[in-house]
Amino acid sequence: MTAELLKLAGSIAAIVFIAWLARFWKLGGDVRIRSEEQAREIAHETLCGFEPVDIAIDKAGTAALMRDADGRHLLVRRHGVQWAGRLLDQHNESRLDQNFLTVGTGEKIFGSVTLNLGAQASRWAAGLRNLTI
Amino acid sequence: MPELFSPIDYAVPAFIILIVAEMLWARRRAPEKYEPRDTLTSLALGTGSTVAGALTGALVFSLAMWIYEHRVFDIGWVWWAWPLCFVLDDLAYYWAHRSGHRVRWFWASHVNHHSSQHYNLSTALRQTWTGFIALGFIFRIPLAFLGFHPAMLLFVGAFNLIYQFWIHTEAIYKFPRWVEYVMNTPSHHRVHHATNPRYLDRNYGGTFIIWDRIFGTFTEEVEGEKIRYGIVKQLGTFNLLWSVFHEWIGIAQDLWSAPWRHKFSYLWRPPGWSHDGSRDTSDSIRAQWLKSQHAKADPPANA
Repeated sequence: MTAELLKLAGSIAAIVFIAWLARFWKLGGDVRIRSEEQAREIAHETLCGFEPVDIAIDKAGTAALMRDADGRHLLVRRHGVQWAGRLLDQHNESRLDQNFLTVGTGEKIFGSVTLNLGAQASRWAAGLRNLTI
Repeated sequence: MPELFSPIDYAVPAFIILIVAEMLWARRRAPEKYEPRDTLTSLALGTGSTVAGALTGALVFSLAMWIYEHRVFDIGWVWWAWPLCFVLDDLAYYWAHRSGHRVRWFWASHVNHHSSQHYNLSTALRQTWTGFIALGFIFRIPLAFLGFHPAMLLFVGAFNLIYQFWIHTEAIYKFPRWVEYVMNTPSHHRVHHATNPRYLDRNYGGTFIIWDRIFGTFTEEVEGEKIRYGIVKQLGTFNLLWSVFHEWIGIAQDLWSAPWRHKFSYLWRPPGWSHDGSRDTSDSIRAQWLKSQHAKADPPANA
């Protein structure tokens, strides 16, 4: 039993060391969406068959809202150095505050995302209000 | 019965050294291959998995011993039993793994291993805490009925697990053709962890890739196509407990809300299946992708 506990303590110590080392070596990085082309690629990766016809990228480049020809809305946001997204439906709440649009995903863990969309924010808020899916 | 050591205990220091070496490689070549929070989650899942295994292992071993007492053959500890046991255990692993992807009940446990969007050596240690609940051991335990001693099964299973550690890397591209033909390699296993439609639910092999070639689930890694790792609906969080239990919670929610005649289907049908067709399975995603590829290759004449 003691040996098992020592092994567990050793494993935890190793985990802490590796996690510290990953930070110390600055692994990871700072990813941003810098172009519509990149946003389109992320959309393809997030949801097979989703072809954006309209794209709004957050000013900081950490999230984007996209609409396809069928009127579906896809929200993508940064997750570490990767991207994660959710297809939105009429049950998702959105809140407009001047240039900022906060989009809820209905998932507590995934959370809501606030995008600075500038002058486009109100147009996208209207689009989300009119979702029929 | 010979006294057997625990291969995993000896392998753990090597795991740590190799992870650090790969991190060093990533630091020089591609820092984005590692994400500290993702690594932390993966390693915590690994440690939790060993604790869960320690808590339930004795029960599974006892069950295997009981089955062994009713064995068909007296294989014993002859030399040829070891390689034969390893190969048969790898075949059993193939079916366990395949079921782990094709049956939601088993997937709820195995999804832990796939939920990282990274593919590095720390991902290899991202193991389930709920394997006992999922009953994944039922695929490998029949070898005890055949006549292989449970201690031998445990021993070769540990070597299988160790083999699978080093293939979780992007630092190695491909090996000579004969190696790629027989063995599971980083290239084949990258395909397995990919969410690209062409790669979904492929390459289930543990040590040998020949099982996939035999049973029609093999797909070669395509040069130049960027691989996306993770699961179809990415978690979007590094929350450890959510990583462990999210699919089980999803099953519970579906069982609660589904009509009675469909409830059982949410347990045994493939992940992503829904009674109203509102979700996607790997099959439907691949079909949709193939359709779009055909449409691109053969555009309508009047377009």
